[in-house]
Amino acid sequence: MSAGLTTIVGRQNIGVQVQRRRSRRAAATALYWLLTLLLFFAFLAPFVWIVSSSFKPQAYIFSDVEPLSWRTFLPTGASLTNYSSAFSTENVGTGLINSAIVSCSQVALTIVLAVPAAYALTRLRFRGRGVLFTLIFITFMVPAEVLILPLFQIASKLHVANSLPGVFLPFIASPFALFLLRQAFRDIPRELDEAALIDGAGHVRIMTSVILPNVKPALATLSLMTFLFSWNAFLWPLIVIQSPSRELIQVAIAINTVPGELPNWGPVFAGAVIAVLPVLVLFLFVQRYFIRGFVMSGLKG
Amino acid sequence: MAVDAITKAPPGRRVAGTMLRPPRRVRRVGARRELVAAGFFLLPFIALLALFQYFAIGLMIRNSFYTYSLLNPAEGKFSGLTNYRVMIHDPVAIQSIEVTLLFALGIVATQVPLGLALAIFLNIRRRGVQLLRSVVFLPVVTSVVVVTTMWTFIYAPSDGLANSLLHFVHLPSLLWATSDHEALPAMILMTLWEEVGFSMMLFLAGLQSIPVEFEEAAAVDGANPWQRFWRVTLPLLNRTTVLVVVVSTIFAIQAFAQAYIMTQGGPDYSTQFLVYNIYTEAFDLGDPGYASAISVVMLVIVLIITTAQMRALRGRLQE
Repeated sequence: MSAGLTTIVGRQNIGVQVQRRRSRRAAATALYWLLTLLLFFAFLAPFVWIVSSSFKPQAYIFSDVEPLSWRTFLPTGASLTNYSSAFSTENVGTGLINSAIVSCSQVALTIVLAVPAAYALTRLRFRGRGVLFTLIFITFMVPAEVLILPLFQIASKLHVANSLPGVFLPFIASPFALFLLRQAFRDIPRELDEAALIDGAGHVRIMTSVILPNVKPALATLSLMTFLFSWNAFLWPLIVIQSPSRELIQVAIAINTVPGELPNWGPVFAGAVIAVLPVLVLFLFVQRYFIRGFVMSGLKG
Repeated sequence: MAVDAITKAPPGRRVAGTMLRPPRRVRRVGARRELVAAGFFLLPFIALLALFQYFAIGLMIRNSFYTYSLLNPAEGKFSGLTNYRVMIHDPVAIQSIEVTLLFALGIVATQVPLGLALAIFLNIRRRGVQLLRSVVFLPVVTSVVVVTTMWTFIYAPSDGLANSLLHFVHLPSLLWATSDHEALPAMILMTLWEEVGFSMMLFLAGLQSIPVEFEEAAAVDGANPWQRFWRVTLPLLNRTTVLVVVVSTIFAIQAFAQAYIMTQGGPDYSTQFLVYNIYTEAFDLGDPGYASAISVVMLVIVLIITTAQMRALRGRLQE
């Protein structure tokens, strides 16, 4: 009897518990979706507003923003006028080409310089390696923004001021690149290059045909990060370039925003969309390399 | 027999030794070859780094003792410590340091807890989490120029998105970047939006490196989720936390485009960041010697902060 009673009570308890657990789980799910929607809105709304507004005439941008409604975030009365005027009057086309040249050169030269240096620091034994290593990595602590004035003077002396090479030349010897590659090179077992050494391969040969094929992910990460830094850079390109024909994309769109009196919103938005598009496309396709790179760059501290 | 063994043993060992090690001469040649190779491999990198980092720093320190013009740096006049003396009595220079440190503090104080909260939230396995992580990370890959351009219009006192959103939830308008009280908080909010995805990713990497067993063991011992977070997860994230603090501090101290595009340092110098101040002194007001002195002070500030934070990092690591 008593045993039967306890099982019934027990069963009821379990029923209540299951119910409670279910409602708690439902509440958790609701909370999850609520937070998710909130975050989606907070992080996407600015982008969506800019992109949709970039297709609107100025009057529509203003009339759609207040009161806030779905119209604010949709390209009502879409036209490409803003884009064509961004290209024709705001130097965006020139900026795109110049930025592409600078960023691609910077990626290529950074790799060309950092690969042998990382090889020497991980594979070759020589006196002073430790000191050299410290001297290179101590420059990590110096932000480029501090050095703009002497860099400008050096660039002028070298006759690269107001030229595209002047934009990337000071930054191609990148301690970040060296750090990233050093980590990758160290992960390759030494037995591989020792085997190649016995086969009579020289260091150049070992570097190009043993090490490099094994560090492709690190090279991809490095290329993307360098491209991103170069594409997004602002202060140095603003200073070192004076001719509008050599202006970079970030400078072109920033200067359009600054004067301020009555900026023409549409073309400025169109310019911003164009400036972010290449990076966005890259990010969507090869996101994991980006995130790896950012986590690595954080580790540098 | 015993004598035989003794006399035979050493040569045997020597033979074994030479078999294992390469002959001495070859080794020495190899070492020299390695040194030459290292020279060739490192020289271009080291030469550029020496020119654009070490020489540049030296040049900057030298220039800070001179008064000269950008067009003609060679015709400078040695002025000793004048630039530094002027700086101490320059309210704009002092304010720019204060504003920059306040900005850094505001960013660190908001980004660390929010980045951690986001990481914990997005560490769960559910549908859509991956997409949400990418969306939060999107502003990180967007350039500061584009972000600031966007937010300049978001913050526009009339026709801006921010005030429209406030009206939507029946709140009064704000002046945002056009008021000297609201400009710095507005910039901190914008920078938080831009950078929090980065802290989130660092915290996510940190969270995922914590073995599940730790939390499970604490759960078995009867710790509730709240206790598990404060007593187990957070202490194990110490290293990541310091990292996030270092990275966001350095980012904040380097702020320039935000002031250049959105506020031009105003209103009333309330967003006159250090780098922006250096820029205006050198390129708008034409006093690069004075700007160099400010740069030297900034370098010292950066070095002090990073060394202190890195020491904290190392201390935590040894714990």
